Amino acid sequence: MSNLQMPTSEHRSIQASHLSMLSRLIRQRETGLLLLIVLTCAVVGIKDEHFLSFDVWREILVRCAPTAIVACGVMLVVVTGEIDISVGSLMALLSAVMGRMISESEADLSCWIGIPATLGLGTLMGLFTGSLVAVGKAPSIIVTLGLLTALRGLTTLMMGGKNIDRLPEGLTQLAKQGLFGVPISILAGIGVIGLTSVLIHHVPLGRRLYALGSSAESAKMVGLSEVRLKLFVFGYTGFLTAVATIVDVPRLPKIESGIGTEFELLVVTCVVVGGIAISGGQGRLIGVLLAVVLMTMIRPVLTFMDIGEAGEKWTRAIQGMFILLAVVTDSLSSRRRRSSIREDAA
Amino acid sequence: MSSTHESRIGRSFPWWHETVVGVLLVVVLLVASRLVPDFLKLQSQLLLSRQLWEFAILALGMTLIIITGGIDLSVGSTMGLSAVVFGGVHTATGNLFAASLACLITGLCCGAVNGALVSRLRLHPLIVTLATFAAYRGIAEGWSQGFSYSRFGDDFSNLARGNWMGVPLPGTLFLLMAIGFGVFLSKTPNGRFLYAIGHNERAAKFSGIAVERIRFWLYTTTGLLAGVAALIYVARFDTAKADVGKGFELDVITAVVLGGTSIYGGRGNIVGTTLGLLLIHETRLFISRYWGSDELRSIVIGSLLIVAVLAYQLVLRKRER
Repeated sequence: MSNLQMPTSEHRSIQASHLSMLSRLIRQRETGLLLLIVLTCAVVGIKDEHFLSFDVWREILVRCAPTAIVACGVMLVVVTGEIDISVGSLMALLSAVMGRMISESEADLSCWIGIPATLGLGTLMGLFTGSLVAVGKAPSIIVTLGLLTALRGLTTLMMGGKNIDRLPEGLTQLAKQGLFGVPISILAGIGVIGLTSVLIHHVPLGRRLYALGSSAESAKMVGLSEVRLKLFVFGYTGFLTAVATIVDVPRLPKIESGIGTEFELLVVTCVVVGGIAISGGQGRLIGVLLAVVLMTMIRPVLTFMDIGEAGEKWTRAIQGMFILLAVVTDSLSSRRRRSSIREDAA
Repeated sequence: MSSTHESRIGRSFPWWHETVVGVLLVVVLLVASRLVPDFLKLQSQLLLSRQLWEFAILALGMTLIIITGGIDLSVGSTMGLSAVVFGGVHTATGNLFAASLACLITGLCCGAVNGALVSRLRLHPLIVTLATFAAYRGIAEGWSQGFSYSRFGDDFSNLARGNWMGVPLPGTLFLLMAIGFGVFLSKTPNGRFLYAIGHNERAAKFSGIAVERIRFWLYTTTGLLAGVAALIYVARFDTAKADVGKGFELDVITAVVLGGTSIYGGRGNIVGTTLGLLLIHETRLFISRYWGSDELRSIVIGSLLIVAVLAYQLVLRKRER
């Protein structure tokens, strides 16, 4: 607005646009996360160059995969202004059901039945959550809090105090060694990330989710169905939780009822650190993925820093610090931006 | 969520939710006393009430926070950190009084950090307390290195195990505190302001309520209550470990919401929370004494929460179209 008043304003605004592009890049969450990851890698890599080896990163990425897969779904839930904190318990339930179906010491069904059934159950559970939120109009944090408790109990009840082992050889081999040398969880991760990215950027549905999140009122006015969109995001999250279960759980020696404890908090943490606004409508997939890598890196980094087991106990404290760091810088930079806008206006 | 209206039943009879929870509680008690002999016996009820008090004390602070439209996920972790500090100071000095003081101060500080982040930086309480949920527990784990402190002496344990006029000491403490909180909430201006903030924060600010200061003290107080709860827990089990209070936050929120406090803010009271706490407690006792199954317990509590909140949405509130 002030451009109109001064003759030299055009020159200034060009300069300003260069500057603002640079400062926008610096201020962006993704750049900060990437810098943090690269810096950490550099420091740890100098100390022990084995950290930068192919094998270590393959292992880190395998550990990232389930978190990244589920985060793709939870991210969309948060974009629409809701939240899902039941994914950890859902994962436990799904792995118990899957184990019961395909383990050789249990029902011993074929994987061709067990895996689609698990995917179906995951989607159904997601749709169930979604319908409580979208149709029942119950607050999502309370609904998923209830499910977090209830599903964990259901899992423990189903397992009956026993662990499930002896999953089919083929599935465990696939999970451990992968297809053509690429671990199956990484393949699934790439697939899900690609799918989600297409969904967000190239399909109207993605735009609609953001529209719903930034203003539910306006979204309704232009004729978007809140119920349908919310059913979709919760269903998608349920489906992705099933995918993560199928690729990750067979890597474990046995299925126990404690699987996925606090997984939901890790996922929500990654979504928040990745720059998705908890009030909905804002944030990008790439930020979430970088946050997943950063959060997963903490433990291996502590191991490589060679401070022994004492160091690893600090993992959670460092995770907490990262979330704080992310939200505090965010709030400070947005405040600066707001005050600079005010100065411009004055 | 300011676009929701209380429907006619809600307006004409504001105690609707508390009544439903109360009736449910009576039903549970009646069924339980039929199926489990001497379930209602005062002696066994008092004996088994020991598990309740830490939750109950935390729920008081949580009720206030949720009334203002906030939430605190970090109470369990604050308990863990306070307990570890207690253990650490006791080991270093051997002085129970110093250790207890340190425990309370730790809780207070944890709460103050939450409060400062929420009120000064205007961050979303869900995010702030999710961060400190991880951070406090992490510091407790890192600092204690999984070590569990114990042997604080019988005198100390008796504080949590002892009775005062037949009522367990922590229970007496809770009763006094509940009355205090209830009076604060319904009779003092600051208490009424909490509802104003929960209903419409902007309007509250414009009418001159020191929203941010109130909010800061709210989280700080809840931190202090977590310190108190940690003290009771440590005394009861005679051990202080980093995992003290794990998962408490969810149970406490469940009790508060079950008791009729709206997660969107602006509605709720101490009577409702107390009923919610009792309902959860008695349901748990009944299930574990009748079926002896812990799993069933969490299924029932989780479903109860969902059903309660659905019923509340469907019956009491009507959305503006």
